[in-house]
Amino acid sequence: MWSFSNIADSIHQWLNETFHPSVAVIFEMIIAGICVISLFAVLGLVLVLMERKVSAWIQIRMGPNRVGPKGMFQSVADTMKLLVKEGMTPSGADKFLFNLAPFIALVVAMLLMAPLAFAKNFQMWNVNIGVLYISAISSVSVISILIAGWSSNNKYSLMGAMRSGAQIVSYELSAGLSILSVVVLAGSLNLNTIIQSQADGWWIFKGHIPVIISFIIFIIAVTAETNRAPFDLAEAESELTAGFHTEYSGMKFALFFLAEYVNVFIVCAIGATLFFGGWMPFHIGHWQSFNHVMDFIPSSLWFFGKTFFLIFVIMWFRWTFPRLRIDQLLNLEWKYLLPISLFNILLVTAMAIAGWYF
Amino acid sequence: MIGSTIIFYMLALLTLISGMLAVSTRQIFRAAVFLLFSLIGVAGLFFWMQYEFIAAVQIVVYVGGITVLIIFSIFLTQQAGEKMPKQKMNRKIFSSLAAFCGFVLIMIQIMQHSFQSTINTAIQPGIENIGNEMVGINKSGYALPLEVVSMLLLAALVGCIVIAAPSNFLKKGEPPTNKLKSETT
Amino acid sequence: MSNTSKKLNNSTVSPSGLGAYFKEVFNAVKSLFVGLRRTGYYFTHHKEIITQQYPDNRETLNLPERFKGEVVMPHNENNEHRCTGCTACELACPNGTIKVITKFDITPDGKKKKAIDKLVYHLELCTMCNLCITACPSDAIVMAQTFEHSVFDRSQLTKILNNPGSKIMEGIE
Repeated sequence: MWSFSNIADSIHQWLNETFHPSVAVIFEMIIAGICVISLFAVLGLVLVLMERKVSAWIQIRMGPNRVGPKGMFQSVADTMKLLVKEGMTPSGADKFLFNLAPFIALVVAMLLMAPLAFAKNFQMWNVNIGVLYISAISSVSVISILIAGWSSNNKYSLMGAMRSGAQIVSYELSAGLSILSVVVLAGSLNLNTIIQSQADGWWIFKGHIPVIISFIIFIIAVTAETNRAPFDLAEAESELTAGFHTEYSGMKFALFFLAEYVNVFIVCAIGATLFFGGWMPFHIGHWQSFNHVMDFIPSSLWFFGKTFFLIFVIMWFRWTFPRLRIDQLLNLEWKYLLPISLFNILLVTAMAIAGWYF
Repeated sequence: MIGSTIIFYMLALLTLISGMLAVSTRQIFRAAVFLLFSLIGVAGLFFWMQYEFIAAVQIVVYVGGITVLIIFSIFLTQQAGEKMPKQKMNRKIFSSLAAFCGFVLIMIQIMQHSFQSTINTAIQPGIENIGNEMVGINKSGYALPLEVVSMLLLAALVGCIVIAAPSNFLKKGEPPTNKLKSETT
Repeated sequence: MSNTSKKLNNSTVSPSGLGAYFKEVFNAVKSLFVGLRRTGYYFTHHKEIITQQYPDNRETLNLPERFKGEVVMPHNENNEHRCTGCTACELACPNGTIKVITKFDITPDGKKKKAIDKLVYHLELCTMCNLCITACPSDAIVMAQTFEHSVFDRSQLTKILNNPGSKIMEGIE
């Protein structure tokens, strides 16, 4: 049967037969890099279009409908515009850091792709601390925002960067704690092992109430971490023009924009992996025949379906809720999400020890 | 093997050059960013040695925590955007001398130390072993130091709250939420 | 101010702090779901789209009754209008959009009568406030619903509202 892992295996075999093993490794690295970059491009195009359509339908509008059939090529046209636009550097800016910041944002997003399991046996790097690796690398993304905000030499950018820093640093805590609850139940930090542990049901069903609580906290915290509305204080068009990327234009702006959407994809992929079983099809306990029927749907479809469902939920949030003030934002984290997730993790630990899950 | 050696030298160069730039640049924000790259280079070395857990902790603590803290304190400082004055010549000489002496000291130690080869199999640096050692109470366990460190951190947290709390709230002994709300409304 | 708020807080929070806390959390989550249900309803019922596909539906365009596009002066089939040249509209206009240029006609019985020569209307200055229409004693000017006003030269926006050679209607004083 057709699957990603078969393709990867056959390419690996062919390369090893035709070339020296070390040359083959270099070729594989190049192929993986090209795949990641093209996935980035496709994700950018698809997610921007999806966001515009979702927002339009939620607001009873039509959305893009001019370029191509039903406006399918709108984001392609936007990309063309961004590619040919002049990327300006303000004269008062710190030029080195100003041009460095978008690349840091993109490289961080690329690094986060590494441990994701896109399909069965299809993973770039099976690292045994996958979850920790992801929460570690994603904490670097704030640096690019801080650098961009500072080096623009613009008060709006600086304020946006400060807000974003405060926001990301504080929401990382509750995101990490809600991830930990699944780690405690699965007993591993390896994403593959976590997926395997959901072969008889996804954690959101197996772990019932405490895992549902931690899922809600997770989705709130990652919405804040990716700087999306209702937590988009770092950009806040109506207050700070565009926050940390006010001074960016052309391709440099496009990189920030792309990194934002790729980050949304990544956090949703992690949410899908931890709570909805990643590529694991929908299995119920020991209903063998039902599980076999579910296995016929390819694992990559399961993964992308779950991920895009979570992306839709986050977009749904964006077009429903008004933006929070900075004090409301910090209150929400430190007075509500953090204490609740701390108690929740105690609950989950007790549950894991006593075996009160399915 | 040659590929991994090349990667090692690249990481070492990244660490050293950005470390040098961090101390030689005259803009304080740039110094913080170069320090960040230096710390990322160290994390890369840990990844190179396949100590993923330590590398991730290095990134969480130093890159995500300490550097962000440094950058924040730079943002909140006045005149942080201006160039710092040039250092005097004798200061430069003495600081480079101090760095050189430190380097020599470390090198002498490393050269004199004889690394004994063992026949024992290496302990897996996996997270399970690290966790078991960290809270272990046997001979090589670190339960007591861990507890002491966590007491220290708890004291620091309580101290932060005491410093940040409004000055009159401790005297009256009111619950903090009421007091804060009434002041903000 | 602080006293009253303190009292309010005490009355709402103090009876059972923890219970109130969880009630607050519960209410917050509930209200979020109410909002999500509303937007979810709109998302799934996207056939009720309110967007007007403007350049495509120029023929069937349905403008609201009170939409105000520009000031016009209706004429009847004999090229007659109702304007007496009283300049009430010019006085009512807050930003000098209307300029009434009057002349004196000679009536058949030899009397001089005040009439308009030109009623100059600067569309580029107009804010569509409707004050001139309410000020007009003889209902000579009305608001039209045209809205495609873009031209290549600003001078084309200065319009003369009365048709050339038009006269005042019989019986309008």
